[in-house]
Amino acid sequence: MPLLGNFCLLFALALAIYCFVVGVIAAVSKNAVGYRLAETARRAGMASFVAVLLAAVALVYSALTDDFSVAYILHHSNRALPAPYKFAVLWSGQEGSMLFWALLLSCYGFVLRLRHKVDQRLVAMASMVLAGIQVFFLILVNFVAKPFGMMDRVVADGNGLNPLLQYPEMVIHPPMLYLGYVGVSVPFAFALAALIMRYPGEKWIHLTRKWTMIAWCFQSVGILLGAHWAYAVLGWGGYWGWDPVENASLLPWLSGTAFLHSVMMQEKRGMMKVWNIWLIFITFMLSILGTLLTRAGLVSSVHAFAQSSIGPWFTTLLGVVFAVCLIFYIKNRDHLKAENKLESLVSRESSFLFNNLVLLGACFAVLCGTLFPILSEAVRGVKMNLGAPFYNKVMIPIGLFLIFLTGVGPLLAWRSTSYGSIKRNFAIPATVSFTVMVTLMVVWYRSGIRFWTDLNQIYALLSFTLGTLVTATIASEFIRGGRVLQNKLQTNLLAGVYLLMRRNMRRYGGYVVHFGVVLVIIGLAGTAFNKDQEKELGVADSMQIGHYELRNQEYTQDDNANYRSEAALLDVYKDGKYLTRLNPEERWFKASGGQPVHIVANYSTLVEDLYVIYEGSPNGHPFIKALVNPLVNWIWIGVLVIIFGTGMALVPNAAPVTAQVPKAVAVSAMEKQGMRAAGVSE
Amino acid sequence: MSPAVLNYAIVMFCSLFAAGALIYIFLPSRDTDTGVLKTRVVYLYERKDVVYENLRDLNFEFKSGKFTQADYDGMRLGMEAEAARILAEIEMLESAKA
Repeated sequence: MPLLGNFCLLFALALAIYCFVVGVIAAVSKNAVGYRLAETARRAGMASFVAVLLAAVALVYSALTDDFSVAYILHHSNRALPAPYKFAVLWSGQEGSMLFWALLLSCYGFVLRLRHKVDQRLVAMASMVLAGIQVFFLILVNFVAKPFGMMDRVVADGNGLNPLLQYPEMVIHPPMLYLGYVGVSVPFAFALAALIMRYPGEKWIHLTRKWTMIAWCFQSVGILLGAHWAYAVLGWGGYWGWDPVENASLLPWLSGTAFLHSVMMQEKRGMMKVWNIWLIFITFMLSILGTLLTRAGLVSSVHAFAQSSIGPWFTTLLGVVFAVCLIFYIKNRDHLKAENKLESLVSRESSFLFNNLVLLGACFAVLCGTLFPILSEAVRGVKMNLGAPFYNKVMIPIGLFLIFLTGVGPLLAWRSTSYGSIKRNFAIPATVSFTVMVTLMVVWYRSGIRFWTDLNQIYALLSFTLGTLVTATIASEFIRGGRVLQNKLQTNLLAGVYLLMRRNMRRYGGYVVHFGVVLVIIGLAGTAFNKDQEKELGVADSMQIGHYELRNQEYTQDDNANYRSEAALLDVYKDGKYLTRLNPEERWFKASGGQPVHIVANYSTLVEDLYVIYEGSPNGHPFIKALVNPLVNWIWIGVLVIIFGTGMALVPNAAPVTAQVPKAVAVSAMEKQGMRAAGVSE
Repeated sequence: MSPAVLNYAIVMFCSLFAAGALIYIFLPSRDTDTGVLKTRVVYLYERKDVVYENLRDLNFEFKSGKFTQADYDGMRLGMEAEAARILAEIEMLESAKA
């Protein structure tokens, strides 16, 4: 199999180089021969996918058959490793993950080239850009980080997979994140192609809309699966620690979110063309930076499972990408002139603009914080880390302002909104959110929560209030629009809302995504009310946390081929009533030299999680740490809503009702200045 | 299967795969459609569709009670003027071409 893998990778590189070089020649020549060459380049690009796929299959096969003559398999697998984790070996180490990057990129390229009829010339140019990126990754896997490197001697068993990665979500989380990172390459390729070609119009945005949304959804799911993994496996009771690798995944998500919003201004009003093109360039570069941070070990992190010398390669790629983007921007910037200007600060356009500025501000803050250790070492010779307090101080207010904009934006009109319209649209959402705020303040005060003394609880109060504002504005959008169709079609409100959504799936899917974000925010706000307690528990001992009492019934040990473990059996009572039994556990994986891993026991409800960690038995008795984390489940529910909303936004609209306007009428209307040019109704 | 036979089989498979891929790449295409060059006029037609869609959205939002009459009139006038500009340019480019 290594022979097959090596051949396929080399062949894929040759095909990708052909696709890139011939693509460039075809783009320059612009004649019949050029078109024929472009077709061969397209086919070479498609064939390269098959070659990379075969190489990936060869690597997975080697893992499944315990072929320890392959160095990568030796270092990342062992015989006792369960089969799903052997499959996950493909992205568990440096070399495999680079191969995985190349595989996903070639897969995206394959689909893109297969659908070349949507716009042959633009797709040919975008395919050439993608081939250029693919050449880079295939050079890496052929000459720098070789997944099929051979061992000098045959070894009986492998070193095993990193114990932290032996968790079901780890089979899904990295592919999701990678699909998101790599997926950004497609809109990037189209944007660069459109700039190089001086392609008129926004078609590249229409063509890449679905790609961008899918990539964004994969990134969102990947980030939140990572958070869930950290919550379930790392055993510190939280899900987000502002770790450099977590931040690296957040950076392209933030700029990608800004891009998803700002392209609407270009589509609707022909504005912000320069901004959008640079936003997608930056998003792609941040994806590369994310891979660099995760895989090159530039910063220390619990999520960085590889340390290597590929850093300079990625830095060079970043430099080349930036230079190419800059050169073509300078050459063709006159092509990106806006067709309209911002007419008022109180308008949908300005809300998008603020949203973009805030998202980019957040992105910049996270980037600075993440790179601060590297920068401080370069400048002062001392590696200084910025921890969670820095990020919380900066990001929470930014996040709250973003939620505010999420609530306000949809209620503003394009171009300009008067005070009258603002009053009309905001009266109900503002009243509802104010009522929720006052109710919460009263309820908390009566429960003995002195929220004004704790900044986190004040933030939580604002989160709930603004979350209500967003939910109320979303509801008002659905109900108002639904009523119009209800009256027009003489149906009920529910059918009206359904027809409303079918009329503009992207817009209403977007609102559902916003609602998912609100749920995530509510889950995050729960952190302000976390409780924790730790205690050594002998048999029949108990500990109290919040409403819960934990009684230690037993303490067990186990030993199997893959790991040995210790666990406590704890009976849980709530207000004196038996609830369940929890088994927090600690495992030591044999192949990895006995590195301990916490298997957290979690009793989870919609109100709160009882999160129990086994912290060892230094004096012969289990040492138990228990936390009560309110509202955590809403984060994961929010993610499901986000996925659903994105899925909705991807569904095509029901056939639109169009109205034809005779050109003569419109032209004459222009001449008369002020007469109606188009008698268009919904 | 002995390692030598397996290696032989893999070499054969690789050769066939490479040959198949090269035939696929260089086999002359029956499809001679090279796509059309996008012109300013095509772009203007796209813009026209977008402005009409914006007008439809505006009308719908007005009916849903989101804007005051004055706001609606102002926005509609602006959009109609934009549509008229686009249509006039289309007319001009098409008549110049003819």
